[in-house]
Amino acid sequence: MNPRLQLAAAGVTLLLFGRESRVSAQGYRLRLDTRAQGVAYRGVTLDSIPVTDTLSTPGSGPTSPEGFAVLCRSGVAYCSFFRPGPWRNAGPLTSTADLTVWGLGRPGLSVHAAVRLGVEFGSADVWPGTNPAVQLLEGYAEYAATRTTTRLGRQVVASRLGTTGFDGAGMVLRDARRGVEVQGYLGWGLARGVALPVTSPALNPLDDFQPRQRQLVAGAGAGWTTRPVDLRLDYLREVDPGTDHFVSERVGVGATLRPIPRVQLAGGADYDIAAGWWGSAEASLTYTQSKVQASVGARRYRPHFDLWTIWGAFSPVPYHAAQASVAVTAIRRLELRGRWEGYEFEEAETATPLFNAKRGGWRWELGGTYHPLTGLTVDASYREEFGPGAGVAAVAGTITYEPTRHLTVVLLGSQATRPLEFRFNEAEVRVVGVDAQLEPSPRVRLGASADRYREIHRRPDAGAFDWNQWRLSARVVLLFGSSADLRGLPPSIRLLPGGRSER
Amino acid sequence: MISRASVSALAVIVSVVAVGGLCAQQPPKFDHLKHAGLFPTCTGCHQGAEDPDQKMWPDSAACATCHDGTTRPLVTWRPPEEARPSNLKFAHELVPLMTRETPQGTQELSCQDCHIAPGGPWMAVRRATPEGCLACHGPEVKQHLAAPDSLCQTCHLPLVRAASLRPADIAGFPAPPSHQAPNFVSRAGHGALATGTTEPVAASCTVCHARDFCLTCHVDAPEQPAIQALGVDARSQAIAVRLAAPPSHRESDFLSRHGGMLRADARTCATCHTRESCLACHAPSQRVSATLHSSGEGRGRGAQPVRHPPESHGENFVARHSQIAATTPASCAGCHVRTDCLECHRPAAASRPGYHPAGFLTLHPAAAYARQTSCGDCHNVGSFCATCHASAGLVSNGPLRSGYHDASRFFVAGHGQAARQNLESCTACHVERDCLTCHSAVGGRRFNPHGPGFDANRMRRKNPEMCTACHGTAIPTR
Repeated sequence: MNPRLQLAAAGVTLLLFGRESRVSAQGYRLRLDTRAQGVAYRGVTLDSIPVTDTLSTPGSGPTSPEGFAVLCRSGVAYCSFFRPGPWRNAGPLTSTADLTVWGLGRPGLSVHAAVRLGVEFGSADVWPGTNPAVQLLEGYAEYAATRTTTRLGRQVVASRLGTTGFDGAGMVLRDARRGVEVQGYLGWGLARGVALPVTSPALNPLDDFQPRQRQLVAGAGAGWTTRPVDLRLDYLREVDPGTDHFVSERVGVGATLRPIPRVQLAGGADYDIAAGWWGSAEASLTYTQSKVQASVGARRYRPHFDLWTIWGAFSPVPYHAAQASVAVTAIRRLELRGRWEGYEFEEAETATPLFNAKRGGWRWELGGTYHPLTGLTVDASYREEFGPGAGVAAVAGTITYEPTRHLTVVLLGSQATRPLEFRFNEAEVRVVGVDAQLEPSPRVRLGASADRYREIHRRPDAGAFDWNQWRLSARVVLLFGSSADLRGLPPSIRLLPGGRSER
Repeated sequence: MISRASVSALAVIVSVVAVGGLCAQQPPKFDHLKHAGLFPTCTGCHQGAEDPDQKMWPDSAACATCHDGTTRPLVTWRPPEEARPSNLKFAHELVPLMTRETPQGTQELSCQDCHIAPGGPWMAVRRATPEGCLACHGPEVKQHLAAPDSLCQTCHLPLVRAASLRPADIAGFPAPPSHQAPNFVSRAGHGALATGTTEPVAASCTVCHARDFCLTCHVDAPEQPAIQALGVDARSQAIAVRLAAPPSHRESDFLSRHGGMLRADARTCATCHTRESCLACHAPSQRVSATLHSSGEGRGRGAQPVRHPPESHGENFVARHSQIAATTPASCAGCHVRTDCLECHRPAAASRPGYHPAGFLTLHPAAAYARQTSCGDCHNVGSFCATCHASAGLVSNGPLRSGYHDASRFFVAGHGQAARQNLESCTACHVERDCLTCHSAVGGRRFNPHGPGFDANRMRRKNPEMCTACHGTAIPTR
């Protein structure tokens, strides 16, 4: 459904539900979140030279006259190599308007919209997310009653099958006394992880195959909630309306058990009906106490690919992982934390005698947070991660100074060594940065940050060029709203809707 | 240089002078005992104690009869210009009506009975004590403030009628022992005391308190007859109290239990909480809070909860939240609005990392290769990963054997394992035609890409178009 149709649908809804009394908004919240970022960096550019122009050095491979290691293949007249790419400048600016309007003549009726405007002040193709310039994240009319909630328009449904965006209608029926909830939705789908249809050119920067029509999305869910147990079952199918073929069909189940106070067992799994295999699954046991939090768990991860791509036919294999984490308030003002995960992929059945990738890996992290003074927080951590494709060993720290609840200044620094498995790339990256947030009034929030990335390549040829860069960002959040029906509410409510940073 | 000792000495001197000056401003008190031999009766000076038409205090000129500055030094004593603020019903003209029982029989009260301690010397005058009153009015009472409720109004006016009391006087009221009981704050404590009499509200409460005082905490004041029985008097708020959370609120699982507690007995919560105090956290849903009173005229401001994450949201919760959010979305919706989710799940192009730690850019290859989490929940591989990689030249835009994966000379020959393990990472730089160069059954080198778990018939049934990408119209069947 295109934005015009959505607006029309919202208008019809208003007329239907709002005819009994005046259709004038008695309450609204508008949150304008404007952010800008400046980034300058350079990547790599593929180049080649004739074999005859290469130089041979005893004890090493061929190089270009400029000193770049080159790859020459037998029978090919040219050797290839990667030279430093041009400097790329990105300057994305986004402004997100989050609007909620209620008091439309019928209790429970409201209209929600989240619209994002993006402008790129640098090179147009450098930074993702500003094309197209206007994106409707959500835009729907909602009617919420005791037993039902109905939404019409662009919306996002979150389930263990992902965050599914679509333009259409959704309804939730609930029986609060029995803790039962049933959900259903239907509409034209959006692509994963973005508020754009799969047909959008912005999703295809590499000129790959792309569907010509948006998929139809139909989903259903049912949940049962009691004090010791939560259960949830979700079903989702996506169909190409042009061919009536499936794009995906999956079902997921999840459960949370609270057998005794402070202990929670959560888990779930999804099954890809279209591919005929189990997807991702996980289970975790968590103990929560004011000074100790610990969890152990196991999980399995297999990526999901839509059937309009060929990737599913390449049989991606899952990995199985075991994990544990603990956080302890050791002494007053000092919190320590640690986490570990080890994983191993299933047999890929692609063994070759000449090359084998790693099958397993691990991640661990140790860290601590210390509050030496009121308003001052020091955090430090060390992490190592080593697995197929890439690894990293990094130490990071932040110093947060919050002299008042209206001002926060954060200094950060990190140093990471990050080798790659499939490319000769021993590199060290050092990052220093500063971030400041100011809230001069409850309705205004300002922020600015600057980060410096410095990379040191450990490579014996001219390909050891740096990737140094500055990243600058700024943010302004403005809140507007009428509170005729909410007079006397605490500030935290008057300022809603708010993001995570408002906490 | 001025030494620290000098400064300290100077500070002491200044303090002493200041205190002395302040003391000098206070009217001097008359030392009764010093004049014991001079005055044979009380009413000689305090005629008002006997005759209400006379003054209670002597004229200061009478002092000058002796203190003329020659034989005796001058004194600056002045009689008080106004009566002492009080909430006592007592008046001296009532004294003739009062009697006391003694071994010698019933006797009328004299000044000494109240103003001189038993056995004390003549003119060792003191203020009358409550215990003196209780000696007759409540002989069984051991302590003034522990007197039974019925006794208070014998001597005291309700606060609202004690017009002469100033807020400072009220603030200085001593708290009775009952107020120190552990459960005094609860309904079983002060609530039972206030309503435990035949009167709408215990008289003992009215001596020190008025309705305004109760409104410091009580949101349900209009629903509480005892509070409504109290008069209105803003001076009552001079007694400073602070609404403190009861012990149950400090228990670690309180956040998870408080919903059930509210459903079990909303009256208890409604004592201190308005509907709006629920909305401080439960923004999206007003269903539960509807059982509470809305704030308004005549109600207390009530508790002002501060929104904070529950203990379950502690260490590493951001990485674990998906399981719980998927199973019980309604639980999340109790405190979160959709914008909270979209902040990360639909990130803005100009955002700094929010979900990820600072500097995540340098760490992301390791996290992405083995999918520490599902990147696709928040990032579209096409618009996010491929766009950025293309900008940095990290895409396959020409011959496949370009040498980017140069860690092994035989990577191309053995890339299958890496691909099946990290296929999502491959698609961040490679497109389908890169793979079809070799893996297509039509025009390619016919390397079979199908691996473990591949169900050809099922996929063909679901979407044969996928098969045609490699097999054309000649889709094999098994």
